[in-house]
Amino acid sequence: MFEAQELSVEHKDLIHDVAYDFYGHRMATCSSDQYVKVWDQNSDGRWTLTYSWKAHSGSVWKVTWAHPEFGQVLATCSFDRTAAVWEEIIGETPGPGERGTRHWVRRTNLVDSRTSVTDVKFGPKTQGLQLATCSAEGIIRIYEAPDVMNLSQWTLQHEVQCKLPCSCLSWNPSLSKMHPQMLAVGSDDSNTANGGKVFIYEYSENSRRWTKLETISSITEPVHDIAFSPNLGRSFHVLAVATKDVRIINLTPIDDEQTLQSGVTKLDVQTAAQFEDHNSLVWRVCWNITGTILASSGDDGCVRMFKMNYINSWKPVAVLKGDGTQGNADSQRSSAISSIGNQIVPPSQTASLHLHVFSENNAPAMSQPIKIVNAPHHQFDLFTRICESFNNSV
Amino acid sequence: MSSSVHGTFVSEKINKIRWRPDPFDNSHYFITGSVDNDVNHIKLWDFHENQEEDDIYPFLVSTFPYCGDVTEIQFLNADYFVTSSSSGSMAKIRLYENDIATVGEDGTINLLTAQSQNAVRTIANADSSSIHCVIFLKHNEILTSNLRGQMKVWDLRSSSDKPQSTFMLSGDQVTPTSLTYHPTQRHLIIAGDDLGALTTWDLRQNTYPVNVLNAHEGAISEVQFHSDYPDHLFSCSYSGEIWHWSAKTDAVPLIGIENNETNVWLTSDDVKSKLEVFTLMPTLGKPINTLDLNRNKVICGCDNEAIYLINGITI
Amino acid sequence: MSQLNEKSICENKPLTGTVSRPNRGKRGEITEDAELSEGEIRGVRVYVVIPNHLCRRAGIAATWIPIDQIAIFPYEKKHMKQKDCPSQFASQSVTSVFHLRHSVILFHPILRKLVNESFGVFVSLQNLSANKPIEHRLELLKLSRQYRSIIRACLENLQEEITNSVSDNADELKNYVTILYSIECIWHLCEILLIDVGPGNIILPYLLEWVRFHFPKYERNAATLFGGDLIGLESHPEFWDTIIGLLLQGRINIVRALLRQHSASDSNTFKLVDRVLRAMPVYDVTTGTPINEFIIQRQHWLIDVQAKIDAKLFVSDINLNMIMKLVVGDEETWAGIQRTRETWYEFLAGWLFFTEPTVKPFELGEFAKNSIEKMKMKNRLKQLDKAILAVLEYDLLQVINEIQSMTDNGWFVSHLTDLLYHSGRLSNLEQEISSFSAKNLRESFVLNYGITLMGHKSLWQIGLSYLDHCPNNGIHAIELLLPRIPLENEAKTKKIVYEAKQRNLNHIAQSVSKAQGVISMNHGRLGNALTWALRSQDGPFTSFLADKFLKEYIKSGTLVSSDILEHLGSWILASDRLIFLGKFYEFHKLYQDKDYRGAANILTSLLSSKIIPKYFWSVLLLDTIPLLESEELVFSSNDTFTIMHCVEEKENLPELKDKVEIIRLAAARNLSRALIFEAQLP
Repeated sequence: MFEAQELSVEHKDLIHDVAYDFYGHRMATCSSDQYVKVWDQNSDGRWTLTYSWKAHSGSVWKVTWAHPEFGQVLATCSFDRTAAVWEEIIGETPGPGERGTRHWVRRTNLVDSRTSVTDVKFGPKTQGLQLATCSAEGIIRIYEAPDVMNLSQWTLQHEVQCKLPCSCLSWNPSLSKMHPQMLAVGSDDSNTANGGKVFIYEYSENSRRWTKLETISSITEPVHDIAFSPNLGRSFHVLAVATKDVRIINLTPIDDEQTLQSGVTKLDVQTAAQFEDHNSLVWRVCWNITGTILASSGDDGCVRMFKMNYINSWKPVAVLKGDGTQGNADSQRSSAISSIGNQIVPPSQTASLHLHVFSENNAPAMSQPIKIVNAPHHQFDLFTRICESFNNSV
Repeated sequence: MSSSVHGTFVSEKINKIRWRPDPFDNSHYFITGSVDNDVNHIKLWDFHENQEEDDIYPFLVSTFPYCGDVTEIQFLNADYFVTSSSSGSMAKIRLYENDIATVGEDGTINLLTAQSQNAVRTIANADSSSIHCVIFLKHNEILTSNLRGQMKVWDLRSSSDKPQSTFMLSGDQVTPTSLTYHPTQRHLIIAGDDLGALTTWDLRQNTYPVNVLNAHEGAISEVQFHSDYPDHLFSCSYSGEIWHWSAKTDAVPLIGIENNETNVWLTSDDVKSKLEVFTLMPTLGKPINTLDLNRNKVICGCDNEAIYLINGITI
Repeated sequence: MSQLNEKSICENKPLTGTVSRPNRGKRGEITEDAELSEGEIRGVRVYVVIPNHLCRRAGIAATWIPIDQIAIFPYEKKHMKQKDCPSQFASQSVTSVFHLRHSVILFHPILRKLVNESFGVFVSLQNLSANKPIEHRLELLKLSRQYRSIIRACLENLQEEITNSVSDNADELKNYVTILYSIECIWHLCEILLIDVGPGNIILPYLLEWVRFHFPKYERNAATLFGGDLIGLESHPEFWDTIIGLLLQGRINIVRALLRQHSASDSNTFKLVDRVLRAMPVYDVTTGTPINEFIIQRQHWLIDVQAKIDAKLFVSDINLNMIMKLVVGDEETWAGIQRTRETWYEFLAGWLFFTEPTVKPFELGEFAKNSIEKMKMKNRLKQLDKAILAVLEYDLLQVINEIQSMTDNGWFVSHLTDLLYHSGRLSNLEQEISSFSAKNLRESFVLNYGITLMGHKSLWQIGLSYLDHCPNNGIHAIELLLPRIPLENEAKTKKIVYEAKQRNLNHIAQSVSKAQGVISMNHGRLGNALTWALRSQDGPFTSFLADKFLKEYIKSGTLVSSDILEHLGSWILASDRLIFLGKFYEFHKLYQDKDYRGAANILTSLLSSKIIPKYFWSVLLLDTIPLLESEELVFSSNDTFTIMHCVEEKENLPELKDKVEIIRLAAARNLSRALIFEAQLP
């Protein structure tokens, strides 16, 4: 059974991306309405909007958080051909225990692209503060903030020509400084005759260049999203690809003589799984924290989850889909108003959601009331009571 | 009489546990304060002794929801206690009769009294690091310790916002995690620290430690003298140990514990050989956050969401 | 292992997985994956609908939320090549993000006791097998019973809560009770058949004990009957039902005692029945009676009873006649009582007691299937039934398959699999099934369970310990999850750092310390931030903070948080900038204490060092003026040359524009004083 919390994000158009900070307590959303919004979860579990600003002059495609070691930092990219880095500024604290005013300022605007910037991602924190962007013109750009404490200075370190329009990129999130940095880039070029649409790049410390290690030739259809899995102690890298289906690719570095001599990694590329469950184009892929479950979304309007079992084979485990025809009626809404402990939950804060179970062969669906938990409000007057009792009798 | 351990799972991590003072020194009521819960609680418990089954179990008398983590509980008297919360930026408190000193991560010292709702005095930015512990040395003097292991003595009569003196726990930026003073010789101070060591000072002499005992595997979360038998000390740690330290009987004459010469805690060399250490419970494997003593009963609260009563300690 | 055919699963779809719930109509989100191959543990497939119009029309996408939640939002792919214009949904409908998480029943306060207490047993079990070989049946049995007593305690707690509370969550609590009862029942059977293998392969007494434990109804009824008015007991509506129930549980003595309370108990028929029941041979392995002897005794007794039945000695009482036919295993009579039995396994235990008292463990599966067949249950098996059948068939993989889909968030399957693994039971399967690894199977469950607990605000430390016991991937999971525990206050941060250091994850300890430092910095607590920066051993961060102190000095003319700079000891070496700051602080202090010579010494050594920040040159050079001009001569001629050299180098600094000449003049005057003084020295 699931518990769900609904949060209206107040954008004027569809959102293109939702990103959570390292701890999962902050959320950033971006939309075609050109706005970026930052939401914070209170200690009682409630999400509130803390800042909203017009970030670009075109659709904002992606938003992503930097590691908290670098402070509260976001990067965005947009149709307006730019990518930007944003930092939160906390004003003077008005008093003990109170929060200072917060706002976000643009630290840098990266204007090198001549076309829509389609993806932006911070590099692994072991390598300092790096940012990769890719664009429709087929160029991958690696920026670096040489002084990690100064976010207003970014230098364009590398420009890598990809030849095909780029739609998405992913850093290999290796936890070790030992591994060379690795990037995967996907192209949504629709001409299958142009060959493979996923490219693997590696940074060589010796030549100080990014070089293409591999083109995954088995994927010639347009690629819409790509994601390296967090590494749960494996000797190989796992890459999820959203194309006409969901692909899971294992990339195993080969340690042979040749590799050692050339200093360039050679990869053994294996397709670990291929799922056509969406029966349509796949738009997004996303790994959970431990890299054990992959969530994909596709043109069938569904989110599908895949999990690796104990003998290392991938299996579909869950399907989620949107349905506005059932549930969510006002009658149910009111029925969910209840008193929790000693507080009454205000009606507007509560919504009852029915998550309906369905089966794909159109068997009658069983309705499953889902608990909508907008965490109760805790305002305890304990201190007051203690103080009062002191005043009365001490 | 051998000691017996009675554990009870309470569905929340206990950060502070305190016996309620009892005029006949035979407490069976105690208070717990929790941590890491969506809603934390202050709970009042009563230990029921079941003579037939030779069992003792705590019976929940009353519960208060609490905002933030409970960081300290101190009794004013049998009927009143004060608590501190992490919601007002992590704070610890100490009492001297009805005077209350609180310190916190914001580096501020607040002085309060039980009679008044407002702080009597605030020393803002008293410390540039978080202050983790505070104790009263005299009614007008407190000792604080910060994250970096700086110990500062504050004269509360002075209008200056500077400490009267400062000294270090050790040169290695180790944080003192618990401070306590000897029940009859208040100038004798013991600090438990992050690395599990116990450091003793005689503040009359100087600010250089008299001795340092490497004790626990993990940070010492609380250290307490037995108020009636100051030759006995109790400590618990993050590594899940709870220890009873006592002076070897041949090391201390039966009379004259007031005599400084024979106070075992002030032995500067080879203090370990003069002490015996008893493990009160098998190691839990999870931090024991707090302990409190009453006669021959020790209670402690732990991160495995349990409280334990150790009954019949040999004093 | 048994193969399930796809059709039956499809039919079962909305209903499977419901046994653990009383109100099964409300459930059904869990359906099962039909694909099963040899040696494979089936996954549970979940279907969820997001009730939102926009989600239906536009489609949805998902993002994971650390640590264990998922966000669902309406999403439509916008092609990068299209014109950037508002979508068809713009301004029409409210866009919502849905945060979904598994509702984890283990996080209920009462079940948290189960989590914490069973953790203790789990650790004992790991220590046991770490220290000794696993051939310690008695130890394992003890631990298995401890697990069961924890479940029992939890059940009692829940029952108590249900009775005491007027709360509206009684249904929820009852649901937990049902889940735990199922767990207890299966665990108990596993313990009998898999852990505590009795002597001589005799299984029936244990099986009866199990049935009695989980169907205490008849015993309780009997107690009620005896406790009430004994006259005319047979008129009590439960009288005969209780007798049959007890008979099937092998409680012959209680049956006889009840029959003696019948008002006709003095009749010959009753007396005869009593004699027959008393004479019934019961196999007792402890008496040492050879099994063949028992079988012969039993044959004689059966022939005798059958003869009495055939002679219609019991027909005067229809119930007694039925009892006698049951004890000799008359198929027709047994068929007659089937429909009154609650479950097939209760039926099975009774049937075996009267017809196959020496049944061998490996025969149980066949008899179980027969019972199911007889009760026409085959297509109505619920999850609990399937699990019990699998245990009776000794099909361990099937057992695990069944219990992993129970809605207890993996508590049962992780702990039982772990116990079976340590008993060596699972390793046997490795020889039978290729690609099966008992170790990996155990780890996959323990890992998942640990990860589930890591997602809880309070239970994360317990979760860590479970991950510690996953030799393959545990430490990597900890590496990924531990740094994501939110830093709510320094006490929490210190516990996280402690756990990281315990596991030699120094990079995690450092990263967490730095994140805490950044938090302090953002709250304007520079001194505290510096302390954490030192702990994180992050040079650039330390330098950045030292810079802040220095820049603050340039702005305000005072050194803030100067107490932080005392007692730094060797920590000062963390970064050049900190060394500089420390030295500058020392200079400042000496100057304030009017130790001008000491101050001058430090100043000179700073000026000749290579660690002066660019922005601080002017400050240092200006600070030379009062010392150059001081009454006491504090700079030697060499010192003065150093100063003059620096002035030449830095004369173009804009901040020094109008000051350069003053410094030069002061230096020249000092130089002359110094030279004269030095000339006088011997």
